[in-house]
Amino acid sequence: MTSMTMVEIGAIERELRQLWSESAEKSPDGQAVIRALTLNLIACTHDAEHADRMTDAIQQLTASHPSRAILALLQPDAPEPRLDGFVQANCLLSRRGTPQVCGEQITLDARGSAVQQVASLILALLVPDLPVVLWLSHPDPFDAPLLARLRSVVDRVMVNSQAFAQPTKELVRMAELERTVSSGGLALHTFAISDLTWASLTAWRELTAQFFDTRPLLPHLRRIDHVTITYQAPNGANNPVAGLLLAGWLASCLAWVPLEDAVSIEAAQIRFHLRRPAVGVGTGAIRLVTIDLCPVEAGIGAMPGLLALHLEALDGITASFRVERAETPGYALTTATIAGMEPISRLARCEEPSLADLLAAELRLRHRDQTFSDALRVAGLLAARLGRDI
Amino acid sequence: MSDLPNPLRHGLRIGRTPEPCTVVIFGASGDLTSRKLVPALYNLAHERRLPGGFSVVGFARRPWDDAQFRQVLLDGVNANSRSGAVEAELWASFAEGIHYQPGNFDDPSAYARLVERLAELDLRRGTGGNRVFYLATPPEAYPDIIRQLGAHGLHQSPHGGWTRIIIEKPFGRDLASAQALNQQVLAVFAEPQVYRIDHYLGKETVQNIMVFRFANGIFEPLWDRRSVDHVQITVAENLGVEDRGGYYDHSGALRDMIQNHLMQLLALVAMEPPVSYDADAVRDEKVKVLRAVRRIRPEEVATYTVRGQYDAGSLSGRPLAGYRDERGVDPASQTETYVGLKLFVENWRWAGVPFYLRSGKALPRRVSEIAIQFKTVPTMLFAETPMHDIEPNVLAIKLQPDEGITLKFGSKVPGQPQIRPVTMDFRYGTSFGVASPEAYERLLLDCMLGDSTLFTRRDEVEASWSLITPIHQGWLASPAQSFPNYEAGSWGPNSADEFMARDGRTWRRL
Ligand SMILES: NC(=O)c1ccc[n+]([C@@H]2O[C@H](COP(=O)([O-])OP(=O)(O)OC[C@H]3O[C@@H](n4cnc5c(N)ncnc54)[C@H](OP(=O)(O)O)[C@@H]3O)[C@@H](O)[C@H]2O)c1
Repeated sequence: MTSMTMVEIGAIERELRQLWSESAEKSPDGQAVIRALTLNLIACTHDAEHADRMTDAIQQLTASHPSRAILALLQPDAPEPRLDGFVQANCLLSRRGTPQVCGEQITLDARGSAVQQVASLILALLVPDLPVVLWLSHPDPFDAPLLARLRSVVDRVMVNSQAFAQPTKELVRMAELERTVSSGGLALHTFAISDLTWASLTAWRELTAQFFDTRPLLPHLRRIDHVTITYQAPNGANNPVAGLLLAGWLASCLAWVPLEDAVSIEAAQIRFHLRRPAVGVGTGAIRLVTIDLCPVEAGIGAMPGLLALHLEALDGITASFRVERAETPGYALTTATIAGMEPISRLARCEEPSLADLLAAELRLRHRDQTFSDALRVAGLLAARLGRDI
Repeated sequence: MSDLPNPLRHGLRIGRTPEPCTVVIFGASGDLTSRKLVPALYNLAHERRLPGGFSVVGFARRPWDDAQFRQVLLDGVNANSRSGAVEAELWASFAEGIHYQPGNFDDPSAYARLVERLAELDLRRGTGGNRVFYLATPPEAYPDIIRQLGAHGLHQSPHGGWTRIIIEKPFGRDLASAQALNQQVLAVFAEPQVYRIDHYLGKETVQNIMVFRFANGIFEPLWDRRSVDHVQITVAENLGVEDRGGYYDHSGALRDMIQNHLMQLLALVAMEPPVSYDADAVRDEKVKVLRAVRRIRPEEVATYTVRGQYDAGSLSGRPLAGYRDERGVDPASQTETYVGLKLFVENWRWAGVPFYLRSGKALPRRVSEIAIQFKTVPTMLFAETPMHDIEPNVLAIKLQPDEGITLKFGSKVPGQPQIRPVTMDFRYGTSFGVASPEAYERLLLDCMLGDSTLFTRRDEVEASWSLITPIHQGWLASPAQSFPNYEAGSWGPNSADEFMARDGRTWRRL
């Protein structure tokens, strides 16, 4: 159930109260309506179309994270200054006989110079004593004035690195910001950073990690000396961010250190060299790892995204661990091949998560995601080595 | 063993997969396998919780081949999986690891073939000698299977892998048979290899009892004889015995439900905080509770127990035959289908607080809950006012069907000089919006990961039987004159209400 009413801006709270008492009266079969708020979610965009997608995601999120959502649609370039507000309840369809759970959404539509009023309005509308999450759906989120205005009250900032206007440059900035906030360097109050692209890598990380839950395969992990990450680059748009994050994750878990200037780009393929802890002894000990990021023009589906992750130990007994999208959409095939043994493969679900799934996964975190922080640090180093956007 | 230092697993948001292993199911052509076990395994695969190489070997009498077995399981999963219809590709990949081994439980040559089969799987699917033996058979078959496993060296793994055995309920019929079975099992396996299943412990809400108690500071100070008036534990089923009459008539509600499920619930609400969340620490505390329960002697059954048997009636709008008319049931059966008990946990925390347990078949609703009823306040304050009618606070932990927690307290009716009880309601489903995994999923995974926290230890089973067996003996010595004594679809016999009325209490209306 969703109802939308145009209101005077100052009357939002009153309007919300009215909305709730109406929905209690109108609820089917006199069922109880539970207004459940678990967080303040401030969603911000410049793009009206994107605002609709955000609203959809917020509604789907009601199941797991009913919230007071404040959607700010900011169009500073509009000629006339104007500020409108709407309220709506986001309710889950409930089974008969069970109460309906609802969250609420306030949409602020600000144009022209009125955009500057939005931050103060948001501050007044936050529900006290609940976490505050700021979801910035900008191509350059770290320049958003709203971030500067709200950073003292925000607990988590959510961005999507895949959608950055200048992916590698913004990734470097994100890594720097993460370093500052995680060291508490900003001020008394710090926030955590969430990246929806990172969240979309969970299934890939899980399938990769699972190879090495097996005792006999674990020793090969230290021997990995070659990594290939293949991703889609539809229409020549080579955005290596997801691959960089995945590479950063592997490197940070395995203590691989990127070498200075050791990056080469050949026909859109990027190769990094890293140093890893020694395996074996003496001068023959192999200490180098290469990571290749390979964009592929035509892949499965039209979405940008990862196609395959391949870990290999080529020196000595060859071992290969591969996770790749299966031909049937929504699945991945994993294969472990150790020289002299039968390859072991399995098919596993690996669906493209929806926007709401990604948000929910990040909102489930109560604290900083240290794994992300570590992965981002290395991904930032790798991105800085690239030096420019490709 | 289960704590691999896998550096990629650090901080991952998802669960671990067990090592590749083979689950050998004895009784694989039976009901439990296709209705619960394999749907649970398939769901684990669906959630990416099973490793590549994971394999199943089904062992039973009928002369199926792999293909027939896979088809039966596929039908079973389609009908019973919580994740809906089977995804064809995923099933194909999962089913590659499924095999069938025909044989009789007492035939040594069948085990010799099993040994070869397992060795071949270790090589081909990389299962590394890791095995789970699942006894999903009639309990009479347990000793044979265990002996044969031992005789063929299957109680331990080659290649440094692990071997575990899961034993279904019922674990014994009384104290003596449970002890005998424990001896048979432990003559072949070591206790840490043994996983006695009580699927109640696999339910998310049951696990949550401990979390609720020990992760929230506000209730624990009230959790004792000073504040609690009594505790009621109810597990009600809205079904008759269906086609299990033959089995049930030799068991009854006391042994089928109370001995395992309700005693586990009792232990979880009454236990002291364990020193850690580790299998033995938790089970140590549960055993202490069971040992502290005052034993009801056979001659005391009339005081502390009440039993019933259902007669014809109607359940959920449909007629139901009386218990004695069910197939497989003795027409003069003395088996109880309803039990009420009053137990005392004699320790410092609980001395004097009665724990009322009840469980029955053919009751109006399927509902399980634990209710802690607190003592009423001294009502002096409101005694002279129309607000003297104060009800006690009740904290109810609901296990099914709608899992959640409710707290009842008194509140003034606005504008009127009256106090009315209101409830605060918390439901898992609506608060977390995710479906809970089935109990068998959790338990199978825990066993493969080597975590036995949610399984019953030897001393637990025996402690529980030592409470149950004297009650049963008391009943045998004084057969129920009035059976059948409650109508199917009612809340049990009148004597159950009288039983509570004697203490000035009533059963909760559920
Ligand atoms: N079903 C449930 O929902 C449920 C719930 C909780 C606990 N349990 C427990 O789980 C166990 C199994 O229950 P179930 O309902 O699956 O039983 P079931 O349907 O009767 O199946 C018994 C299985 O054992 C096999 N079997 C019996 N004697 C055999 C022999 N001598 N040699 C080889 N195979 C033999 C049967 O094989 P063939 O048919 O091929 O001969 C069949 O596969 C029981 O201990 C029961 O108490 C069951």
